[in-house]
Amino acid sequence: MTDNKKISKSDLEGLLNEWSQEFTVFVPSQENEVVKLAKWGGKDTSFLDWYRNATTPAKANFFPPREEMFGFQKDKEGYHLELPPSDEHKQLIFGIRPCDARALAILDMTFKDAYEDPYYLSKRNGAVLIGLGCTNPYDSCFCTSLDISPVESTDVDLMFTDIGDQFLIEAITEAGKELITKASGVEEATEADEAKAKETKEASYNKLVKKIETEDIKEKLLPAFDNQDYWEGVAAKCVSCGICTFLCPTCFCFDISDELVKNQGERFRCWDSCAFPIYTKMPMENPREDKWRRVRQKVYHKYEFYPMNYSVIACTGCGRCIRQCPVNWDITRVLNSLPAKI
Amino acid sequence: MSVTDISYRRRFLASGNVYLPHIAVIEKVIDETPGERAIRTFHFNFKDEKLREEFTFESGQFALYSVFGAGEAPFCISSSPTRGDHLEFAVLQIGKVTNALHRLGVGAEIGFRGPYGNEFPLDFLQGKNLVFVAGGIGLAPLRSLVWNVMDNRDKYENIDIIYGARSPSDLCFKYDLDAWDKDKTVNMVTTVDRGDESWTGRVGFVPKVLEEVAPSANNAVAIVCGPPIMIRFTFPVLEKLGFTPEQMITTLEKRMKCGIGKCGRCNIGNLYVCRDGPVFTYAQIKNFISSEY
Repeated sequence: MTDNKKISKSDLEGLLNEWSQEFTVFVPSQENEVVKLAKWGGKDTSFLDWYRNATTPAKANFFPPREEMFGFQKDKEGYHLELPPSDEHKQLIFGIRPCDARALAILDMTFKDAYEDPYYLSKRNGAVLIGLGCTNPYDSCFCTSLDISPVESTDVDLMFTDIGDQFLIEAITEAGKELITKASGVEEATEADEAKAKETKEASYNKLVKKIETEDIKEKLLPAFDNQDYWEGVAAKCVSCGICTFLCPTCFCFDISDELVKNQGERFRCWDSCAFPIYTKMPMENPREDKWRRVRQKVYHKYEFYPMNYSVIACTGCGRCIRQCPVNWDITRVLNSLPAKI
Repeated sequence: MSVTDISYRRRFLASGNVYLPHIAVIEKVIDETPGERAIRTFHFNFKDEKLREEFTFESGQFALYSVFGAGEAPFCISSSPTRGDHLEFAVLQIGKVTNALHRLGVGAEIGFRGPYGNEFPLDFLQGKNLVFVAGGIGLAPLRSLVWNVMDNRDKYENIDIIYGARSPSDLCFKYDLDAWDKDKTVNMVTTVDRGDESWTGRVGFVPKVLEEVAPSANNAVAIVCGPPIMIRFTFPVLEKLGFTPEQMITTLEKRMKCGIGKCGRCNIGNLYVCRDGPVFTYAQIKNFISSEY
């Protein structure tokens, strides 16, 4: 007898359906080679065979690429504002990787800071995260450099580890514990199951070969800030497409705009990116018109400014910015080749 | 002093949703300057009577103003909290939202979120000689403080106001300039870069005129706002006059969307102008990691 539980892979479908009674369940789903966390359709757990990680990180579930903030309408009495309806059910995400779960904990800091962001937090509060250990990481992944294990997480409610025909289930939070105490198909795990999980975890952990040196990174970055030559070199091949920021699980920048049709309209926000010159453009001047300044901003925001403000690096080593970059830009190379003082 | 602290303020009086603007009604429009890039001052009041009574702000704070359908833009509150029957803001016609604002007349409804950001440190300024240095529409945030000081005149020592614009017709808040000029407790100096036939006043750039006026740095604080180029040339002049970086205060402007430290773009290093400013001392600015301001 151990504290942990297990479930047979063939029973997962039933478990997800059970959870669907209470939650809107999301699972990995693939369309045109893009992997998203999509609404669970009631059957088909074949994602277990091919799933490595979602192309779009889980932040999109709580901070969608485009989101209505409120509607506005004008009549004889003036303007009336109306908030969009809130979701009926809380989300349950099955299969989130530890890197992306950590990213949500990092995003929480920004969206809770000073003024609470009601759109993000109304979705995030009460949402359930079910982690799935990452047994087949990409070459571009470097989560272990950021103190994140691909197979363990304290940022989820339940952690699943593949032990062959079954999953070992560890309850991380009270909410997680509650979810499996009454669930059908869930059994007590044996010591042999745990030994198998340990073996899988160790093997997975050792698959992470890409590394960055994060020790003293804040201190190392600071003297490099004014080294324009270095940043111009680093930025040379960047095409300012913004994909690294859109797909980054910790990037949160957004734009706010209005759309108006006749006398009614909506205010919405959408993802924005520090890669774009217009992001900081003012009528008379632009502090980051130069590409190298924008690339530098991206690197410093993650590894210098965010740690200064929130004591955590805003990067989880998920590797998306490397995998999806059209010109093969690699943040690990930038950080590992920082110049000493000018 | 208080501007060196990063203090978070939550004075928003509305329901839980910080992004939902209050509806306000324009009560008066003043043409400050003519031309393609005209400047106008708008007087407004909240539609909600309770909010009208409960709303408070400090000189130096800003807000996000909406023209529904065109969008939102940040402007400082240019009136003084000591003059309470309405609020004011001034707008240079230059982009989408500012052009939409300039099309609005009395009775039109706008959206208002705020007040956001920090304020001028009144406690620090009390008992001191104040030197206001402003250019163009940069007088907007400072006039909130000037009137604030005027309404508590005995708490402050000498007041110098050095204000300039490109030409006589580009001078904003002429009614204020007249009032301060007539006030014997104020040394009001107005200058223009280029005069015209009828201009009999000073001609010269603001930093140069500041050097000529040469206010003493003794027990003084300079409060500076104007175009970035004016600010950059003003700090060295103040240093020459003996002002320390702690004795120079300015308020910065950036592209902003959220106003509350989330949308990302107004950062200078790790600081967000919306959340950690907009009021900074030159001592702080000198220590910024980035010179991107």
